Amino acid sequence: MLEGILIGLSTALTPGNLLFVMMGCLVGTFVGMLPGLGPMSAIALMIPIAASLEPAAGIILMAAVYYGAIFGGSTSSILINAPGVASTVATSFDGYPMAKQGRAGKALAIAAYSSFSGGVIAAVFLLVAAPFLANVSLAFQSTDYFALMVLGLVAVAAFAGKGDMAKALLMTVVGLMLSTVGTDQTQGVPRFTLGMIDLVDGISFLLLVMATFALSEALMAILKPKDDAARLKEKEASENLGSMAVSAAEAKDMAPVIGRSSILGFLIGVLPGAGATIASFLAYGTEQRLAGPKKGAEFGKGSVRGLSAPETANNAAATGSFVPLLTLGIPGSGTTAIMLGALIGYGIQPGPRLYIDQPAVFWSVIVSMWIGNIVLLILNLPLIPYIARVLAIPSRFLLPLILFFSLIGVYFVSFNTFDIQLMVVFAVAAVVLRFLDFPMAPMILGFILGGMMEENLRRALLINDDSWSFLWERPLTLSILLIAAVCLVLPFATTHIGRLKNRVFGDSPSAD
Amino acid sequence: MLFSKDRVGGLLLLAFCIAYGLLSREIRLLPFQMDAAFHARTMPEVLTVLGVGLSLIVMIFPGSAERPKLAGFQWGRCLLFLGLMSLYGLTIRPLGFILSTSLFLMIGFALLGERRPHILLLVAVPLVVVFWVLMTQGLDVFIEPLPAFLKADG
Repeated sequence: MLEGILIGLSTALTPGNLLFVMMGCLVGTFVGMLPGLGPMSAIALMIPIAASLEPAAGIILMAAVYYGAIFGGSTSSILINAPGVASTVATSFDGYPMAKQGRAGKALAIAAYSSFSGGVIAAVFLLVAAPFLANVSLAFQSTDYFALMVLGLVAVAAFAGKGDMAKALLMTVVGLMLSTVGTDQTQGVPRFTLGMIDLVDGISFLLLVMATFALSEALMAILKPKDDAARLKEKEASENLGSMAVSAAEAKDMAPVIGRSSILGFLIGVLPGAGATIASFLAYGTEQRLAGPKKGAEFGKGSVRGLSAPETANNAAATGSFVPLLTLGIPGSGTTAIMLGALIGYGIQPGPRLYIDQPAVFWSVIVSMWIGNIVLLILNLPLIPYIARVLAIPSRFLLPLILFFSLIGVYFVSFNTFDIQLMVVFAVAAVVLRFLDFPMAPMILGFILGGMMEENLRRALLINDDSWSFLWERPLTLSILLIAAVCLVLPFATTHIGRLKNRVFGDSPSAD
Repeated sequence: MLFSKDRVGGLLLLAFCIAYGLLSREIRLLPFQMDAAFHARTMPEVLTVLGVGLSLIVMIFPGSAERPKLAGFQWGRCLLFLGLMSLYGLTIRPLGFILSTSLFLMIGFALLGERRPHILLLVAVPLVVVFWVLMTQGLDVFIEPLPAFLKADG
């Protein structure tokens, strides 16, 4: 492990890579701060640049953008109560009240220290867990990988929320469908190309991500522009931050919260599909219960603990989500799915072999997490008063620029104008589906995993002489598939039991 | 309730899944490929069944009864932007990067309310030129800056 850390340090600490970490954190904070644009869009916007770099540098850049965007999302949650992403919604519960009380600077500092601590502690866990899991997963076969991918896809849908599971599963299937466009890998047969030569190589993942996230988010903002009062609020918030000092009593209050939320966040982040959002809400709820009646009552009114818990947990979960990506090659979230796509673009297949075949990439990602968190704390925090001014840029300039960067990012990779037209088509579809509250992240996950899933299933069948019996004969495959089945059935079952209870007890008051 | 968001979305995706299923029948397989346990049509066929089934579940058991609200949105402006993006794709080669992108940005700023011509020019043109220099000099990504008729070999 020590050797690995040294490899990681020697890769991540080169002047070029340090510059990419700083640039990534800064750009990520900038993009993440813009309401509506989250880490997924931020990473997608950086892929064309990352594609021109060495694999380790590219991944370091994207990872830095990731933490930066989460940090930026927290800033807009605290300052203007407009979380850029779902994982920073819980941050606004206490962060925004603090800002309203004139303690915006303090709230930003608490968020930064908590994010830093959560990220650093979780990176230590990652350091221990990733090689261990990578060694275990060396025993995995194609059948197990197929089962793991099924579990990953189902788990993302299972955590979609009450009533949204069927929609998330449907969007996952749509993503899988889109992944089948192009020439079939094994038999060389063109599929769904509609006679167009531009579709023979399939749909580019970057194109799909840009169209469904960055483009559609900008178009949604064009559809429903903010009124002048909201813009004025953003401008004022970005100018009056107050002191950023955190007192010793507040630091003492935060310390146990950070410890607990780091562990909770990391464990939730490791689970495929759960991600930073659930981690932040769980940490908030847990700390509220643990705080006791007096301190618990302060939650939602500007509590230091209430702000620290979700901020620690969402950063720890973001780090935790790298565990399944780096060790199994299965992304645990939409964001890591985009990173997986980028790695595949480099010709690198994440999984247990990554640890052995590409140690520089593997370890430098882990080490860059520490460096990224340090950069966020010492560089971004003092710069926040200036970076926050991005909130004051008029949207009439910002939105066309986002559209331009999205379009040109894809065009610069393929130099094919057909891609721009295809992006417009996907952006229309994404806007309609988002307008109807259909989630986009499961679709991206389905799209990324679709090709690998088909390949592993086909390989498994080949090894097993065209027999499907491996699904129930291999204990590991069967166990993973059973867990997937439980993930699938449990939310439906609990919803129906809940409805049944409501019907029984609701209709007959005497039953109480 | 009848036209809730979930049902409208479910219906649209049902149409997509049916179209996908119909197109999957056009995947040409050689006779020996047809006999394989897993061929190029297997995954699309399974996905069609799953997609149609899930679309129907979303439509029959919608998670929410909320209706889609069309009022209060700038649909016309959004359509203009979609047209603008498509036009950008058509003009980037014949007009060159600098002219087509400057026009794209200036029209975009104007569509969102910026009407002062000097501001449109001063924001768009320098930004595009700086971006072009950064891409070509910094990242070695070359893109033709000038219109086709101004090219040396044209």
